Amino acid sequence: MTDRTHSERIIFHDAIETMEVDFSSMTFADIAQVDAVYDEIERQLTATGQRWFFLVLYTDCVIAPEAWDRFAARGKSANVNHGRGSVRVDAKAETREAIRERAGKESFRSNIYDTRDQALLALGEMRKRQRDLAKGADEVFLRVDNVSLRFGGVKAITDISFEIKRGEISAIIGPNGAGKSSMLNVINGVYHPQEGTITYLGEVRQQMSPRAAACQGIARTFQNIALFKGMSVLDNIMTGRNLKMKANLLQQALWFGPAQREELAHRAKVEEIIDFLEIQHIRKTPVGRLPYGLQKRVDLARALAMEPELLLLDEPMAGMNVEEKQDMCRFILDLNDQFGTTVLLIEHDMGVVMDLSNFVVVLDYGKKIAEGTPDEVRADPNVISAYLGASH
Amino acid sequence: MFYRENGQFKTSYKADQQVFAIPQDRWAIFALVVFAFVGVPMLVDEYMFRAILVPFLILSLAALGVNILVGYCGQITLGAGASMAVGAYAAYNFLIRVDGMPALAAILLGGLMAAAVGIVFGVPSLRVRGLYLAVATLAAQFFCDWAFLRIKWFTNNASSGSVSVADISLFGWTISSPTDKYLFCLGILVVFSVMAKNLVRGNMGRQWMAIRDMDVAATVIGIRPMYSKLTAFAVSSFYLGVAGALWGFVNLGSWEPAAFSIDRSLQLLFMVIIGGMGAISGSFFGAAFIVILPIFLNQMLPLVGSLLGLQVSIALVSHVEFIIFGSLIVFFLIVEPHGIARLWATGREKLRLWPFPH
Amino acid sequence: MAFFLETLLGGLMSGMLYSLVALGFVLIFKASGVFNFAQGAMVLFAALAMARFSEWIPAWLGMENLFVANLLAFVVAVAIMFVVAWLIERLALRHLVNQDGATLLMATLGIAYVLDGIGQTIFGSDIYKIDVGMPKEPVMMLESVFEGGILINKEDFIAALIAALLVISLSIFFQKTATGRALRAVADDHQAAQSIGIPLDRIWVIVWCVAGITALVAGIIWGSKLGVQFSLSTIALRALPVVILGGLTSVPGAIIGGLIIGVGEKLSEVYLGPFVGGGIEIWFAYMLALVFLLFRPQGLFGEKIIDRV
Repeated sequence: MTDRTHSERIIFHDAIETMEVDFSSMTFADIAQVDAVYDEIERQLTATGQRWFFLVLYTDCVIAPEAWDRFAARGKSANVNHGRGSVRVDAKAETREAIRERAGKESFRSNIYDTRDQALLALGEMRKRQRDLAKGADEVFLRVDNVSLRFGGVKAITDISFEIKRGEISAIIGPNGAGKSSMLNVINGVYHPQEGTITYLGEVRQQMSPRAAACQGIARTFQNIALFKGMSVLDNIMTGRNLKMKANLLQQALWFGPAQREELAHRAKVEEIIDFLEIQHIRKTPVGRLPYGLQKRVDLARALAMEPELLLLDEPMAGMNVEEKQDMCRFILDLNDQFGTTVLLIEHDMGVVMDLSNFVVVLDYGKKIAEGTPDEVRADPNVISAYLGASH
Repeated sequence: MFYRENGQFKTSYKADQQVFAIPQDRWAIFALVVFAFVGVPMLVDEYMFRAILVPFLILSLAALGVNILVGYCGQITLGAGASMAVGAYAAYNFLIRVDGMPALAAILLGGLMAAAVGIVFGVPSLRVRGLYLAVATLAAQFFCDWAFLRIKWFTNNASSGSVSVADISLFGWTISSPTDKYLFCLGILVVFSVMAKNLVRGNMGRQWMAIRDMDVAATVIGIRPMYSKLTAFAVSSFYLGVAGALWGFVNLGSWEPAAFSIDRSLQLLFMVIIGGMGAISGSFFGAAFIVILPIFLNQMLPLVGSLLGLQVSIALVSHVEFIIFGSLIVFFLIVEPHGIARLWATGREKLRLWPFPH
Repeated sequence: MAFFLETLLGGLMSGMLYSLVALGFVLIFKASGVFNFAQGAMVLFAALAMARFSEWIPAWLGMENLFVANLLAFVVAVAIMFVVAWLIERLALRHLVNQDGATLLMATLGIAYVLDGIGQTIFGSDIYKIDVGMPKEPVMMLESVFEGGILINKEDFIAALIAALLVISLSIFFQKTATGRALRAVADDHQAAQSIGIPLDRIWVIVWCVAGITALVAGIIWGSKLGVQFSLSTIALRALPVVILGGLTSVPGAIIGGLIIGVGEKLSEVYLGPFVGGGIEIWFAYMLALVFLLFRPQGLFGEKIIDRV
């Protein structure tokens, strides 16, 4: 069948926690051959006693149709039992299709790359992502502890604590004047609380400054759209990139060279966001001329241009019609999914809140009266009497 | 302008980011600049240069400075004249106190000095806004008026209080005839206009406009109000300082602090309002308007008066000038806050679509 | 000591006059959010009208009585200021509702130019005098306390009295009358006031009329002191620091700010001026206001500004 033994085709790269399997020029004619190979793989994996990333080479590998199901099943079980993720290299068109098809069925990603180098690069990113996540799991993403905020004698927020987990969509709800917007303003440093601390990415502070918040990846949108009225949509979104632009004043005045390169690079990034939010047709329009719903979308685009870790949305759906709300919901879910952005939103539309969020905090008169999953909150008697009572 | 831009597609962001993205515009501007350098000197007489063109060029430069601050960054200033004065007197002192200082270097150093002083006087903008800031800039204006009048060191102890500069030269080119002065100022203006345009279309300009339009939102996306405002003050004052130095060196030759009084500050502000806030071209429109209107009135009013059998005094002409300026300010603020530049843009827009309404 | 007191009192007197101009600023700003740069031009305009009509009316009517002439001229000047106020509201400000402060400020700059131009076209641009019979001779006071006493200008004293009187009557007008209450309501919240049926346009005309009258009073006092001439228009520039110091929305602030600036100017000129070459009056007031501004941006009595997001 082959000129090499199965064990010769398996190499463990300890440094990058990767097991490389070379299926190149192999033919899997039937189930028995598949089992033979995978038995060896599983044996070696079990012997190491740890989990690995898989790098699988498919160059000129032939898999008979009747062996496919077995092949996919064994691959999956290896991955589930010993794997941390896998990348595949240079599958032939039909193999590629088959992998894709089965990958679709099994709902895992089919990472197929043309060359081994590309696959290694992707593997590196995968490892980094997992490492970050592992690290993030230990540290607090965002937590507010006993925060109180007063304006003169008026108490806007009293002794509020809650925690937001990385990657989740959370919501703050509550009647008008409950202190929701003030809470967002405290988190991104516009207001400075008199008491309490904010812990963000493991760092504890008394108060944020808006710029420090922005530098550390907190972006937000505003309840009463706060776009730059005199500028076009494109320029508004480009301002979101200001922290990432480095050309100095003289370079900018001369334009050609670093300033232009930078401008073009960020323009490309901004165009991706424009595509994502489907606002291509209005990119050159002054924002003042746009209808309300689109302005809200541009506001979101500007926040996304910052590539935030944490996105604060202050009533993103206020004043929208049903279609616009649906669009906005879709964007929020997509951005959470695709970019892994953590979202904290304020919203009055209960349906939206309950559908979107993993976690809900309920405020009333500046105090926290409940928190939990949407279902828990919905069932909470305090919440019902304070807030939902009227609408149920 | 009788052309259409449909059918012209851009295939790269680079092409899309050009200042004049439409080829016809690009050629028109290029032709205009060439004409200004080559055609005008052949066609125009000395009076035109002295009375209209040179003042127009220098005031355009100053208006550019004011526009950066007021139009783009939204920080109102009534102290533009002070920055011009700092530029003029600093350049003068560099020129006479440093041996072998080239005139152009002195002018630029004057601009830099004005920028430094501008930053100091911009500091109140970090605490106060709008009207209060206007008052703070007035403080700068009055302080500079006083300093250049009373502190003799600045004027090199000139007994009359006025200082004068002989014809300056640039790499062996002595700038003495009106044509020379015109070309020199035009060269500087073209370079500075291009730089101003580059600044306002890039990251810096966007930060300025963000601060102007909604400063809280700007801070939230990481823009530092202090940095943005102070750079606007610095750049604006630099432009004003260079313009001031040119006004003294090239246009006047000898001058007193009164040349840069509050009237000058107001005049510059009016140029920007009438010409168009937040538009580079507005600075040129405004300067042209304000330079030409008094001359026009001086010629026309006595003519109209004699037709009606009235004696028109010089005082009356200046009063009418006041009334017209004042009314125009109010008119533009009400009807078209973006000034002549926006009217021009709208007109072009219409012509491009003509004869269709949309 | 006597000299110090004399300077101090002199400062207080001229401060009272600044207050009078500042009052015009505050009235208009309170009610319409307009920082009225044209207040100085209004002072000039009013003073010109007063001066010229007190000349013209005796000539037209062929009478000699100075008092009657002044009275008639005053009435005419008041009427003119009302017309001016109405025109300003009608032609300019009505169209600029809801614009931001800086735009309104620039608009009033324009209005100032127009007023200066029209005033001088109609009334002429020479130096005119207003003679309302103010006593010119100085008097000695407190001779028993200090050697030689303190020299005080009777005219200043009367002027200060008039200013104080005007302030008191304005306070009463604001606090006790229905119109005054409406004015204060408008000052607090335009839209709320409008929604309960207060006619904004009319209120604004009234405010400008009142500001016109304060301008007239200020014009008469300054005019009879210094003569009516174009430079009167720049008096607004002298009064600006006063408003900044006192807070844009506070009537007592305008008074106290005026006194502080008046005294500060005089003392600085007398005690500091000689060391730096003199002439520091005008910028000293601004610097004083500016330093103050950095520590208390809303002025002495102004309302604290809170940003809402």
